[in-house]
Amino acid sequence: MKIDLHNLTIKKAHDHLMAGDFTSVELTQAYLDVIAKKNKDINAYLQVFDDALEAAKKADVKIAEIRNKKSKIEDQGSMLLGIPCATKDNILIKGKIASSSSKILEDYHATYNATVISKLEKEGAIFLGRTNMDEFAMGGSTENSAYGVTKNPFDLKRVAGGSSGGSAASVAMDGSLFALGSDTGGSIRQPASFCGVVGLKPTYGAVSRYGVMAMGSSLDQIGPLTKTVTDAEIVFNAIRGKDIKDGTTVDEHRGQAFATRLPRPGLLSAKPIIGVPRHFLGGDGINKDVLKSFESALTLFKEKGYEIRDIQLPNISYALMVYYIVMPAEVSANMARFDGVRFGLHVDGKNGIDDYFETRRAGLGREVIRRILLGTYVLSSGYYDAYYNRANAVRRMITDDFLKAFQDVDLVATPTAPSPAFNIGEKTDDPVAMYLEDIFTVTANITGMPAVSIPCGSVGVLPIGLQLTARHGDETALFSAGKDFLNEQ
Amino acid sequence: MITVKELEHLATLSRIKLSEEDKKSLIKEFDSILAYVDQLKKVPVKMDAEGRVGAVKNVMRPDVVESVSPEDRERLLDEAPDREGDFIAVKKIIAQD
Repeated sequence: MKIDLHNLTIKKAHDHLMAGDFTSVELTQAYLDVIAKKNKDINAYLQVFDDALEAAKKADVKIAEIRNKKSKIEDQGSMLLGIPCATKDNILIKGKIASSSSKILEDYHATYNATVISKLEKEGAIFLGRTNMDEFAMGGSTENSAYGVTKNPFDLKRVAGGSSGGSAASVAMDGSLFALGSDTGGSIRQPASFCGVVGLKPTYGAVSRYGVMAMGSSLDQIGPLTKTVTDAEIVFNAIRGKDIKDGTTVDEHRGQAFATRLPRPGLLSAKPIIGVPRHFLGGDGINKDVLKSFESALTLFKEKGYEIRDIQLPNISYALMVYYIVMPAEVSANMARFDGVRFGLHVDGKNGIDDYFETRRAGLGREVIRRILLGTYVLSSGYYDAYYNRANAVRRMITDDFLKAFQDVDLVATPTAPSPAFNIGEKTDDPVAMYLEDIFTVTANITGMPAVSIPCGSVGVLPIGLQLTARHGDETALFSAGKDFLNEQ
Repeated sequence: MITVKELEHLATLSRIKLSEEDKKSLIKEFDSILAYVDQLKKVPVKMDAEGRVGAVKNVMRPDVVESVSPEDRERLLDEAPDREGDFIAVKKIIAQD
């Protein structure tokens, strides 16, 4: 049968594969054909892997085995068996280049698999290629890539968002059925919003970061970019779980127990409550069409039986400031490993010490250097208390505000980003303007709570995203509301 | 708000070479970023508050060496820009006289 990639979901593709309507090889080839046609304009992929079809062949053998054992109804195989996906360039796949879109890792070959890769491989997913990103995930537009900007599939003059811009664009251009991204301050959700796809940042500790290049270790999470909320749930369930190699991971049952243990006085009824911090939505920087589309989304939720309630998050306006202290501090520590000695680029200097200076200067881009220096500044003696310690104290206050709000509501809703996709080059000269892109998304990284961006409308051709945040470990609430909203049940 | 001398010190600490042009633009950018995050100084906070995220606790493991396969060792060494046999080669650190 002819494969309709545009309307395909993981669930549909799985059913077709199991029914024998098409093979994984045919499906993989269909994606490779789209990539060959569209990638030169969009630049979502940095590299397409030459062994994707080989992996698809193996998946087809497994699918045939399962199909032949028709008596065992329960064994339908993994939902991801034979499903082609894309992975962000900061996630390690053994033997393949992982460059984080940086010159310093241009020829670096991963020596082991990230835990998320091992998990997807076990499920039988097919890796199509690695996707473009802001260098070391630092940016909100994929303009900081050393390998060129990723363009928005809806309008090639505009950015795809970032830092997981390539992953979002790959799904939006029908160049992959799902993609993995990383999210430190909104890097999955904001590009998902710009490209009209679903993007999930799981609870801190839900998904292992082993084998993913660290940016801000107290903030980073790995998550899926998909076409539907159902698909996001499928991928999340495949990659989540405790991992001995990442000490911050929590047992999934512990996460769920944590979520259900929280008190919700008076609202055990079936009518879920969405909290809206209206006091935080009035700023000048927020696009009017985004707000309009947000209000219509709330109306739709009301029609579906949800209650919408105003909430107060007294310290939420400080979240972005906290982020731009904590994140660079952690960046400056994490980026110290690029020394030109053990792996990656080496540029010769006058002596051993000078090698570091020359290598890092040649290999690291402007934004990365800016954040390393900023992080070194806020951590240096004399400033540590004023910046880093104070930021951590405010971080705790923001988390407490959310925990308090979640005693009365099940979800918190905001727009995902203050505007739809902006023009390429529009914000590159003003770091603070670029940082303000993260205003709604950073809070979930600050608090460690799960958040999802789901498409909720558009301005002209440009998609707009709605962000829902839930309690720690309560991804289920995000999936349930998201499916309701997109009529996926 | 930040002086050239301070910036140069930060660059030395973080092992990054900066050109004069870099310094000029970085100082400007630092000023606008610091002016933004400095608003945090107005927030009344209890400074003894501990920064914690989510449901995270200390994780311990036995202090034992895990072996690496010869193939993986070779892969790891191969990523080094310069190697001699099973060693990663670096420039001499201590002068002879």
